[in-house]
Amino acid sequence: MSRAFGAWVLCVFAGVAQAQASPEALEWLRRISVATEKLSYTGTFVYQQGNRTETSRIARRVEPGGSIERLEVLDGSPREVVRTRDEVRCYLPDSQTIKVDRRRDQRSFPALLPAEVQSLGEHYTITMDEMRRIAGFDCQAIVLAPRDELRYGYQLWADVHSGMLLKARAFNRNGETVEQFTFTQLEIGPVPRERVKPRVVTRTWRIEQVAVSPANLAQAGWSVSADLPGFRKVIEITRMLRESQPVGQVVYSDGLAAVSVFIEPLAGRAEAPAMGLASMGAVNVYTREVANHLVTVVGEAPAASVQRIGNTVSYRAPQ
Amino acid sequence: MKSKISAMMDGELDPGELKEPLAALGSDAEARESWRTYHLISDALRGDAILSADCTRRVSRRLASEPALIAPLPGQVRAPVRPRWFVPSALAASIAAIAFVGWVALAPQRGPAPAIAPVAQTPPPAQVARVAEPAKVPVTSATQDYLFAHQAFSPRNSLQGMAPYVRSVSDETVQKKK
Repeated sequence: MSRAFGAWVLCVFAGVAQAQASPEALEWLRRISVATEKLSYTGTFVYQQGNRTETSRIARRVEPGGSIERLEVLDGSPREVVRTRDEVRCYLPDSQTIKVDRRRDQRSFPALLPAEVQSLGEHYTITMDEMRRIAGFDCQAIVLAPRDELRYGYQLWADVHSGMLLKARAFNRNGETVEQFTFTQLEIGPVPRERVKPRVVTRTWRIEQVAVSPANLAQAGWSVSADLPGFRKVIEITRMLRESQPVGQVVYSDGLAAVSVFIEPLAGRAEAPAMGLASMGAVNVYTREVANHLVTVVGEAPAASVQRIGNTVSYRAPQ
Repeated sequence: MKSKISAMMDGELDPGELKEPLAALGSDAEARESWRTYHLISDALRGDAILSADCTRRVSRRLASEPALIAPLPGQVRAPVRPRWFVPSALAASIAAIAFVGWVALAPQRGPAPAIAPVAQTPPPAQVARVAEPAKVPVTSATQDYLFAHQAFSPRNSLQGMAPYVRSVSDETVQKKK
């Protein structure tokens, strides 16, 4: 079955490789990103990764000053993530912790701008696929088949009326699913305020702030490069992670997949972190040591790509 | 001095006796040459990969360009334990060394040379495989911290809203295990 799909992907690959991405499919990507930004909704979705399945509830409320979104995992302990205009907060009841990540300028990133949608065609063959009904919505399928083995492929299903994304599947070069999000229930329309407020009581919880500032790692002696065609540097910052020392972060993206490189000193750690490769669905994490620093590469890309970027990291004492 | 260096290599010197040969390695080019030759011999005998002659220089260059490392205290450094069968005594080591060097020098140069030069050019296949295939490590709570820090920059957010954030809180059992 998966081999048949792989062959099919290859056919699409060979047949359309020279052609531009279908303008109709590109228009659909634009519709999806507009819907993501403009719609208010509540719904339930299933996240699948490897042999793990997790159900979550999600609500989004559009307000004049921006939007508020709330996600709550329904299986296991009730973990929540709340995103407002200025920050993202993770509420973790098991460790009684709130992780806070301040958001940057909303207009500049990570909106998928029309120009970026166009350039996606350089690395993915973007085509329309069959209609399908998902959670009661008639959906149009769009396929982004990668033009090389450096990235995953994606299959998206969006509601024909609103453009809202109902299902997203990431697949590897054999056509096997590595990660999938599927709405099982969705209601589009006004959402009351209390639906996007965190539910847990948190007065005694520990707060981990993630302060972020711009950085220049090259000046500090670090050399990192996205050795992969199509991946461009998006941002370079210094941030605090947990209560450790400042961590450098460089992000690369091809417009759809993103890879972050984190660099931090190894000194002062209670235990040496395990070096190697960890996988969670479409996310691969590669860890190695360079010049007594820990380099962690996190990306929504195949293991080989994440590893390749990690292996470009080197250090040379500034002169 | 050569016998002391050989004994040091075999881990047969007391910590108090190490000072002299170590000092010699720092100041005496001949001592360093012996050190190198003995290692070359022991590597060749055990069939280990042999590093190219230029290795020391390259390592020194790399070390010079790296930031200050946290080095273990001298007392913590332990000489590598060598198999008993290898050399029973320092004297035997010296004899074996001379015999081996003599044999290498006198060996007729036909067919593939005795393992030293050619191997230096290409790393053994096992090593290549290790570079391509990193160790598999489990996902930890630290992994999810990185994921949370990464998620804000994923263009997927503009197609899926915040749904992908579920990855950074997914499966808190992972967090408890640590």
